[in-house]
Amino acid sequence: MICEKCKHEIGPDYLKCPNCGADNPFALKHAQNIKQFDKEFVKTENEVAGSAKKIAGLGKKAALLVILLIAIIVMRLIAVSNYHGSNTEEAAKKDAKKNAARYTKEMDDMLANGEYMEFANYCYGHEIMNSGAEEYERFRCVKYTVAGYYNCVKIMEAMILRSKDGEYFDRLDTDVSNFCMYLDGFERETLVNMKEQEKDEVYLSYILDMENELKAAMRTYFSMDDAELTQFLSLSKAKKAVKLEEILRNE
Amino acid sequence: MNKIVKMILNILTVVAVLACLVCAVDLKESFEYAANEEEKEADTKDDVFVFEYEVKHQAYGEILDSYYVSRLSNVDVPEGLEDIYHVSEYAHASFMSKVYEEKGDKLKADKCYETMKNLKDELGDYKFTADEIDAVINKSARRQ
Repeated sequence: MICEKCKHEIGPDYLKCPNCGADNPFALKHAQNIKQFDKEFVKTENEVAGSAKKIAGLGKKAALLVILLIAIIVMRLIAVSNYHGSNTEEAAKKDAKKNAARYTKEMDDMLANGEYMEFANYCYGHEIMNSGAEEYERFRCVKYTVAGYYNCVKIMEAMILRSKDGEYFDRLDTDVSNFCMYLDGFERETLVNMKEQEKDEVYLSYILDMENELKAAMRTYFSMDDAELTQFLSLSKAKKAVKLEEILRNE
Repeated sequence: MNKIVKMILNILTVVAVLACLVCAVDLKESFEYAANEEEKEADTKDDVFVFEYEVKHQAYGEILDSYYVSRLSNVDVPEGLEDIYHVSEYAHASFMSKVYEEKGDKLKADKCYETMKNLKDELGDYKFTADEIDAVINKSARRQ
């Protein structure tokens, strides 16, 4: 680089000519540029640092929010599991599915022994009717028949063993009405349909046995012979109820 | 922009904290519920009181009714209800014995009598109820 005043050669980083002392415009401009650059650099650096600081604050908050959401989900899952897990009905359904092999064997034994009421209680107690397990499918027709038989026998027992004490409340009317309703459904729908649908001869024999047993119970406790029972069964629900009240009140 | 995001995050955090508190309370209750369910024993006091009342009035049909209702949800006899169950089972066996006799099934009828005999020994203070049940059943059954 040449000094404009004395034409002496000077270095680019000399602010003044070492020979004549004149200013070096290039070096001065460069120095100004460097100063400006430093200023801009510091400014940008501060901006970037400030922005990073702000983003870091937001990040912490977002992380806290995510942690809270995860905590909520975990707590809800545990709570639902506690409520659901202790649901005895659900637990029984799971149990019925899990122990299907053992339960079906016990159910078959009960049927073979003619323990139909016990069979019904067993089905209800173990939630077998609603378990949805395929293993119990073969009991479908017997289960429906047992349900009808169970209701009829249960009410018959209640009617026969009712209190005749005048001071005690009398619910014979209600029992008679319920019995006639169940009997009608059992005789006219359940038995007819289940006998038609049951293909297994052994299970069909249980259905027929339940029918005979219920008829035997009615003959025994309603003081009827075969002809009277046939006539009674042919009556409408209302007429059955009237007839039954007459029998039971005058026994 | 940052301020808006910050504000939204603050609101969401407060809502999440509140939800967290609610969930914590619910979680505590769920544990208590589970513990209660496990340890739940039938509150037998009322049942026993009703049982005594029904025995006094010879209302064995009512006893049987509660027995069947209870049997729908309990496979085993709930603690404290043993007397109700024994009386009810006796009543059922007594009822069915006559049905089997009418049906001509001597084997099952004998089994019922055997069950009745065994149950009678377990009735304790309520042994007299067995005789009362037999009296009602014998009176009601046609073939005596």
